[in-house]
Amino acid sequence: MEDERTFSDICGGRLALQRRYYSPFCREFCLNCPRLSLRSLTAVTCTVWLAAYGLFTLWENSMILSAAISITLLGLLGYLHFVKIDQETLLIIDSLGIQMTSSYASGKESTTFIEMGKVKDVVINEAIYMQKVIYYLCILLKDPVEPHMISQVVPVFQSAKPRLDCLIEVYRSCQEILAHQKATSTSP
Amino acid sequence: MVLKAFFPTCCASADSGLLVGRWVPEQSSAVVLAVVHFPFIPIQVKELLAQVQQASRVGMAVLGTWCHRQQEPEESLGHFLEGLGTIFSHEPWLQLCRERGSKFWSCKAIHRQVSAAPDVPSEDQVMLIFYDQRKVLLSQLHPPTVVSDHQDGDTMASTGGLAVVFDTVARSEVLFCSDQYDEGPVRLSHWQSEGVEASVLVELAKRASGPVCLLLACLLSLISAASGCRLWKLWPLPFIRSKLSTCEQLRHRLDHLTLVFSTQKAQSPAQLMRKANMLVSVLLDVALGLMLLSWLHSSNRIGQLADALVPVADHVAEELQHLLQWLMGAPAGLKMNRALDQVLGRFFLYHIHLWISYIHLMSPFIERILWHVGLSACLGLTVALSILSDIIALLTFHIYCFYVYGARLYCLKIYGLSSLWRLFRGKKWNVLRQRVDSCSYNLDQLFIGTLLFTILVFLLPTTALYYLVFTLLRLLVVTVQGLIHLLVDLVNTLPLYSLGLRLCRPYRLAAGVKFRVLEHEVGRPLRLLMQINPLPYSRVVHTYRLPSCGCHPKHSWGSLCRKLFFGELIYPWRQGGDKQD
Amino acid sequence: MACSGGGGHGQPSSAILSPVTPGSLSTSRTRAHSICMVSDFFYPNMGGVESHIYQLSQCLIERGHKVIIVTHAYGNRKGIRYLTNGLKVYYLPLKVMYNQSTATTLFHSLPLLRYIFVRERVTIIHSHSSFSAMAHDALFHAKTMGLQTVFTDHSLFGFADVSSVLTNKLLTVSLCDTNHIICVSYTSKENTVLRAALNPEIVSVIPNAVDPTDFTPDPFRRHDSVITIVVVSRLVYRKGTDLLSGIIPELCQKYPDLNFIIGGEGPKRIILEEVRERYQLHDRVRLLGALEHKDVRNVLVQGHIFLNTSLTEAFCMAIVEAASCGLQVVSTRVGGIPEVLPEDLIILCEPSVKSLCKGLEKAILQQKSGALPAPENIHNIVKTFYTWRNVAERTEKVYERVSGEAVLPMDKRLDRLISHCGPVTGYIFAFLAVLDYLLLVFLRWMTPDSIIDVAMDATGPSGAWTHQNPDTTQRVENDEVLDTPR
Repeated sequence: MEDERTFSDICGGRLALQRRYYSPFCREFCLNCPRLSLRSLTAVTCTVWLAAYGLFTLWENSMILSAAISITLLGLLGYLHFVKIDQETLLIIDSLGIQMTSSYASGKESTTFIEMGKVKDVVINEAIYMQKVIYYLCILLKDPVEPHMISQVVPVFQSAKPRLDCLIEVYRSCQEILAHQKATSTSP
Repeated sequence: MVLKAFFPTCCASADSGLLVGRWVPEQSSAVVLAVVHFPFIPIQVKELLAQVQQASRVGMAVLGTWCHRQQEPEESLGHFLEGLGTIFSHEPWLQLCRERGSKFWSCKAIHRQVSAAPDVPSEDQVMLIFYDQRKVLLSQLHPPTVVSDHQDGDTMASTGGLAVVFDTVARSEVLFCSDQYDEGPVRLSHWQSEGVEASVLVELAKRASGPVCLLLACLLSLISAASGCRLWKLWPLPFIRSKLSTCEQLRHRLDHLTLVFSTQKAQSPAQLMRKANMLVSVLLDVALGLMLLSWLHSSNRIGQLADALVPVADHVAEELQHLLQWLMGAPAGLKMNRALDQVLGRFFLYHIHLWISYIHLMSPFIERILWHVGLSACLGLTVALSILSDIIALLTFHIYCFYVYGARLYCLKIYGLSSLWRLFRGKKWNVLRQRVDSCSYNLDQLFIGTLLFTILVFLLPTTALYYLVFTLLRLLVVTVQGLIHLLVDLVNTLPLYSLGLRLCRPYRLAAGVKFRVLEHEVGRPLRLLMQINPLPYSRVVHTYRLPSCGCHPKHSWGSLCRKLFFGELIYPWRQGGDKQD
Repeated sequence: MACSGGGGHGQPSSAILSPVTPGSLSTSRTRAHSICMVSDFFYPNMGGVESHIYQLSQCLIERGHKVIIVTHAYGNRKGIRYLTNGLKVYYLPLKVMYNQSTATTLFHSLPLLRYIFVRERVTIIHSHSSFSAMAHDALFHAKTMGLQTVFTDHSLFGFADVSSVLTNKLLTVSLCDTNHIICVSYTSKENTVLRAALNPEIVSVIPNAVDPTDFTPDPFRRHDSVITIVVVSRLVYRKGTDLLSGIIPELCQKYPDLNFIIGGEGPKRIILEEVRERYQLHDRVRLLGALEHKDVRNVLVQGHIFLNTSLTEAFCMAIVEAASCGLQVVSTRVGGIPEVLPEDLIILCEPSVKSLCKGLEKAILQQKSGALPAPENIHNIVKTFYTWRNVAERTEKVYERVSGEAVLPMDKRLDRLISHCGPVTGYIFAFLAVLDYLLLVFLRWMTPDSIIDVAMDATGPSGAWTHQNPDTTQRVENDEVLDTPR
């Protein structure tokens, strides 16, 4: 019911995909990003403090040092709370909806739930991202007025950015549930 | 389709009995609202359901049976519960069972009529979803569903799936009014309010609010009638009123108060929230204003301010004089047209002289004026700030004048130059068609045009310098006024009540729901916990922002720079709207 | 394939009639190529280059090759799109500088272009139009990456003024180590060979084509009581709009039964409007403004005579389209125009008001006397001349030849740049090429080729695109509706 595989993200980093099959109509996919590494944290802190110390020797104002310390602390807190996402989860429940959760490094969670009635399809799309062309998984939402049109495209796994092989894995699973949903909803 | 049973968490420990709720066939979901305990008489249960249905306009029915095995399993109960299905016929018939010592529940949904053989009831896949009845009842979904027709509850089913659940629970509030300890004919188990604390006070306030509102509304209508009087419509007054930010702010506040104290009941929750927000905003405003007032009137701060004000105005005028003298020489080493430079400089110097004498004429009265102005702070901080903005505008009137003169001159030159440049190239602006046409000029026209062009080109730097300096001064004043205005706008529009509600009762403002998969065992139905997903703060502010005075900067930075370059007049934000109409 | 340097000038219609020389090139096709067309100019922008790229790509797809197109973003149209038959277009978010051409720093486009070339497993880069900075950038980067390159020149240039001297120098640099160059007419080939100091042996002539089924005559749409002259071109200096403004009043005074229909938009439109107002010709001169490509035929069939006043033209597609619609064509004798149509279908004049008026009068006389062949006959003659299938076949042979050639390694490339482009420019660009190579090495270190996802092929031998229902079988679905251009 539960297994774990490793994939890589578009920059070559390691990602762990956990799949949990609770029942035939409820599946969960969990992408774990690598944690904040001590090395990069030390590097950033050292750079800021060295720069601050350089300025301090230039101007001889101790305010600079205290400012540097508070900037590092606040920056770290803000980064952990608002930027660094440790885990992204996609929960798909037949005839109920799709739920996306991203957990930040500080423990904050932000959840979006999309009801099945609004979901048109789940597809893999291509996009130009920074200096790269990447594949991403996205949920297409129905336009409430015209059911054949797409009103919005909601990207999934926005921060982890897994590669195509991982996306295809998730995509197939989602399509199975969507196909079941379509089959049963047309003939109740 | 998978059958979804929504089950309230408060009923999880109830005794065995019947499940009462609503069946939504479109989504094949059963919303359980309450559990009816043994013993009961089927007729009475049906009567109760009919009563509730009439009051709430929600199709209520007995959905199935609930079996809570606290003691040793009883064989007879199972048969008895199955037999109930024949009394209360419902399609499908739910059989929910909680076993002792086991965390997992069993749930079956049985179709009777559909299956070919009546002896073998067909079973569906079932999913159990627990929800907190109280939170779902009190929460308000965002964005609110537009359909709010009270005639028939069943048309609601066409709107989104979960909205139906919320709607069902919210409408069957009647069901929850009956007390658990009442000795009614039917015993129910459902969520129960524990009673409001200090309910006497609340009750008193409720009783008092009606007359108070009526009284205040009368007062406010008197004030608005007085302000609508014909005397105020005489010529200069409306003009002045439209220019003074204080008047705008006062009118804005008056509107707020009339809305808050209007005796009509709020139609929708959004409107109620808006009223509460306005009231809190006004109260906070007045509280801050009173604090300012007490600070001002303690230890003669007004006198100190008044004493400081005149020297400051003098100082500003002096600095301006220095600036003008610098401009009349060779500013930054630029060589200007001497004659024009002198004329402009003297003109402005004379203006400053006039201004200083005006200030000195005023100086004996300034303290008294300030004292009265200070009193206005009891109407609110925003009013005091608006008055401050107006005072700044009045005290820097000379800078405004300089700016207008400079801008007009500069504008004239720029337009002259651009049309003469067209003449230079054998083109002209066609007013009728709004485009540039080619045109052949005769020799005299070309000669005069060229001469004028040369003169204008050589005089341009002098004018442009004056324009630049005074525009910078003007921009400084406008920036200060803009900041004050932003502060006023912030107090005016911030939905404090909604923010407080989000902070203390996050479930009241729901952005949606989230699900958590509970522990699961193979062969048992899937159990999910439905929780309320609170609205993020940014969305709260966005949704419940009170309307501002409608004086946002209308032009972007690009158009502002363009206007500055072509010498068109820019105004602070308040007048921006009026001018562009 | 006419790739030898035989002078085709002064020999009208030789571009069409020159037979495909069989030889080592025309061996049977062994493999499908993966081709990337790069140009700044593509739909929704309108013009000759755009339709050339589109039609050529469609015919190559039909022949089983994999084709993608790379261009820059047009307004809201950015990202990746699929056109008819799974033609994949990358609209890259690069800044447009002037005239729909991107600004170039020679380096900033490398990361994206490299990523695309790697993920699409491109083997041949085919750049279009010498005005397009992106095309030159792509050539430069492709050579750095060791890919085969082909360039198609669509325009003619002068040699005298400052701007053309500079452009020619850049073209020399850009083309000196390009594998193969394609020109659209012999005049254009001569011009390009001279400008870029090329070996004529690596320059082929493949003319443009029109889709004859799109341009069919319809004689009932025109009124035979009056004679209508049609002009369809962008209203810019290069297309001779100033000449047109001289011709209109002169002819309108002479012939009271003469009407003009002018389609197209541009900065010179104001001149025509002024002429119309000054001579009170509102009922006789109709200005239609910008035309969509699908409307061009409906405009053409309303006229009897087509007038082309271009001052420079490598291969004029407009006159072929007009002739295909059965119109008598009057044109200036510039650039590659004399090669395009046989003499009995076109009246050639010098690019002056007087000469053009004379030519038009001759055409009007012929029209009035009924000496002209029927539109259907003209159409039947013209439709055999230029077809896209033929163009695609000939282009395929170029690809075949190019894929057998070796790409110059870095040291040889530097030698060639220095020896071929003059001492100063050569060293500068050799230095830039080295920088480009270093940047490429850096990028390969940052994101190795192995972690770039290989894109799903929509076209080509393993193409996933099907004609019946591209939505369901396509794993990679596009975000927008599949839109065909036009």
